[in-house]
Amino acid sequence: MKAILFAAAAASAFALAACGGGEPEKPAEPTPAADATPEPAAAPALAGPAAMPDTTDVAAYMTARHENYEHLGKNMKVLQDNFRSETPDMAAVAPAAANVKAFADAMGDWFPDGTGPDSGNKTEAKANIWTDRATFDAARAKLAEEAGKLATVADAAAFKAQFPVTGGACKNCHDTFREEEKDH
Amino acid sequence: MDAPDHPAPETHPTPSHQRVWDVPTRLVHWSLVIFVGLSWWSVENKRMDIHYWSGLILLGLLVFRIYWGFAGPETARFARFLKGPRTVVGYVGKLFRPDYRASFGHNPLGALSVIALLLAISIQVGLGLFSSDTDFISAGPLNRHISDYDTVKQITDLHEDFFNVVLAVVGLHIAAIAFYLVVKRINLIGPMITGRRKAGNTDGPPAGIASVSLLRLGIGIVLAVGVVWLIAR
Repeated sequence: MKAILFAAAAASAFALAACGGGEPEKPAEPTPAADATPEPAAAPALAGPAAMPDTTDVAAYMTARHENYEHLGKNMKVLQDNFRSETPDMAAVAPAAANVKAFADAMGDWFPDGTGPDSGNKTEAKANIWTDRATFDAARAKLAEEAGKLATVADAAAFKAQFPVTGGACKNCHDTFREEEKDH
Repeated sequence: MDAPDHPAPETHPTPSHQRVWDVPTRLVHWSLVIFVGLSWWSVENKRMDIHYWSGLILLGLLVFRIYWGFAGPETARFARFLKGPRTVVGYVGKLFRPDYRASFGHNPLGALSVIALLLAISIQVGLGLFSSDTDFISAGPLNRHISDYDTVKQITDLHEDFFNVVLAVVGLHIAAIAFYLVVKRINLIGPMITGRRKAGNTDGPPAGIASVSLLRLGIGIVLAVGVVWLIAR
């Protein structure tokens, strides 16, 4: 019996060691009551959408667009982390959600002609943004609507209910209009 | 899975079949096949909800299989089938000799394949726990413990690339099985389904593996579910 318990401990230790990254982990022992995971780490400076340059330099324009989406991703990370938390920090959620709404409202203007894949610049934007503009615009409008709801959630429960819906509106567009990044 | 485990001692003195793989080991094996496949399919088809749960099921299977490598029946135990380099080389030397006898359970070379598979899938699942797409619409259950955006991106890129290693190890495994089937005329697939092989030119006790108590099995299931629950909640 002792051997089995040892094996059990060894197996769980291996499994947790296999989690990779050497990142901070939850305790391996079940500690039901005493677990209030500190959430989330001090928020890095979160930005809303930066003003886009004019399109005289197409490459610079596309880089700025990419950076804007990265900032949007960082805001989404804060929301995702809080969504996973048992007790979302609404003081962190509110500004991130407001930023996401600002991005959603602004991004409709970020795809002028000539800034797609045929520009020759590296981009995840697919050509069908320009060939199927009506669908793209409808998807963008849907995102603006769902991001608006996310920016006005009253409490943690409402946030947890709305976040996947807003995420679904992002995904709706990504699945159709964003190229999978193949090389990093 | 047509052959139930027979805890009762064999009645005839020379059994026609040898039990080599117990039910849990076979179930874990084929579940790994299914859920590695499902994980691949779901991510290719942008079904991250399925990918998330498929990965957690793989985690539970791995935890159970590692535990079973200490607590399971003879042929499932790491200490029983892992051999030193000299034995592995010796086995390869014997492979084409007329007096070659099929191993009882994993052969010394196949044992390395088992470890490589378990390790590769463990690393892949471990990376997945911390991964997220750059849009953070969905994320692995431990992703929130890494606050840095670029670190997440690196881990996720690694998760994506490492699948090629998983594919390579799986490919090697399948190639080895094909080699035994075609060249050595030994069917390894049948026993992994039925648990039994024809007694005859094999090592090991004629009746094969002994049964393992349900208590041991229960501990393994509780352990696997517990680890998954701790991580996913």
